[in-house]
Amino acid sequence: MKIIVGISDMRIGTKPDDVLITYSLGSCIGVVLWDPTVKVGALLHYMLPDSNIDAEKAVQKPFMFADKGVPMMFKEIYKHGAKKSNMRVYVVGGSQVMDDSGMFNIGKRNQMIIRKMFLKNNVMVAKEDVGGNVNRTISLEVGTGLIKMKVSGKGEVIL
Amino acid sequence: MTRMEEIMNIANHIPPFPKVALQVMKMLDNPEVKAKDLAKVIQYDSAITANLLKTCNAAYFGLTRKVSSLDDALVVVGQDILKDIIITSSSARFYKGGAGDGYQLEQGELWRHSVATAIMAKMMATHFDKVDPNVAFTAGLLHDIGKRFLSSFVADEFAKIVKLAYESGGSFVEAEIEVLGMSHADLGAKIMKKWQFDQELIQAVKQHHDPDAIGKDQLTALVALANTQVMTIGIGVGADGLTSKVQGAGLKHYGITGRDLEIYLAGLMLELEKAQEMMSLAA
Repeated sequence: MKIIVGISDMRIGTKPDDVLITYSLGSCIGVVLWDPTVKVGALLHYMLPDSNIDAEKAVQKPFMFADKGVPMMFKEIYKHGAKKSNMRVYVVGGSQVMDDSGMFNIGKRNQMIIRKMFLKNNVMVAKEDVGGNVNRTISLEVGTGLIKMKVSGKGEVIL
Repeated sequence: MTRMEEIMNIANHIPPFPKVALQVMKMLDNPEVKAKDLAKVIQYDSAITANLLKTCNAAYFGLTRKVSSLDDALVVVGQDILKDIIITSSSARFYKGGAGDGYQLEQGELWRHSVATAIMAKMMATHFDKVDPNVAFTAGLLHDIGKRFLSSFVADEFAKIVKLAYESGGSFVEAEIEVLGMSHADLGAKIMKKWQFDQELIQAVKQHHDPDAIGKDQLTALVALANTQVMTIGIGVGADGLTSKVQGAGLKHYGITGRDLEIYLAGLMLELEKAQEMMSLAA
């Protein structure tokens, strides 16, 4: 089944024919987790680095923020038997408009926070495709672990 | 006919903006206007009447009870919201079907981008003392109208434009100008002029991708800002990706910080959930 992950959402796929997909990652970041042993996958589409900007939304929409959403995503996938030691981790997105002043560099800050979180928690990233001025769509086939990425102006590639 | 002439030809032959909408917008500038006078005008456009009822009942506008007739709607809805509803329900017809598919936008995505930009512009209008929030909403809703009509030309020269945008370090808009002779912002301004919108709206549409937009007049700055915000999070972004130039340093002048930008993005997501009925108007 095709499972669409909206902005500020996270979904888990447990069936071999599940395909998790999230469209149009600009400055947002898509995090893919896949455990080849139990064949369970998860896809998160977070929008902002830090939930401190809005305590209410941090509770209401935890997957909007990296600091709340990423730990929660790991907790959720563990419930389906996935293990940290088996898991493959992919990070995609974090691009930005062409602005020298850095005012609109949410994409960069989104990249920095997840790097910091993963470093602190010993999470290795298998592959990443981040930055630039593109937007990206990614999908995960839960049965095979195949990740397809569509990049604006460049077409589709296998990550 | 040269391509420029072909594009201009399209601009000259596009269907008019609903007359009823323009007339009602003018009437609404008078705070004393009576609901029954508005109803007399609005009832002549059945699409606006139908959409008005549908939009009135959309959660975004937060009415506490369901409205079922035009008279009812005009009594319940305040003038401020009525302006947004009229402009939304009369603009939607231009965004139906494959509007924007030349930009590789899925069906409905150009409209979604436009509604999101309108909402963002209205939310952030509080920082711009010379901008009327309703005008900000209208400008946001129509800023990309040029894409609707440039779309087929972009499709014809797609490979060339994309290659230029992504390999030259320039923006997509610069590539449009280079290859087609005009950008969607230029074409949009011509359309807005044809539709007899005010000069400030025409300017804001024309300059929304100008790298200096934030340093220009307030409405231009606000529309460029709202569009950049919505593009940044990828709402209704197609082959052009995030290849748009902007000088964010100018936001300091308005006291807007990076943290503010994030707070508004978080707020936009909640507003969009409430705006589902508006999204379906162009379906």
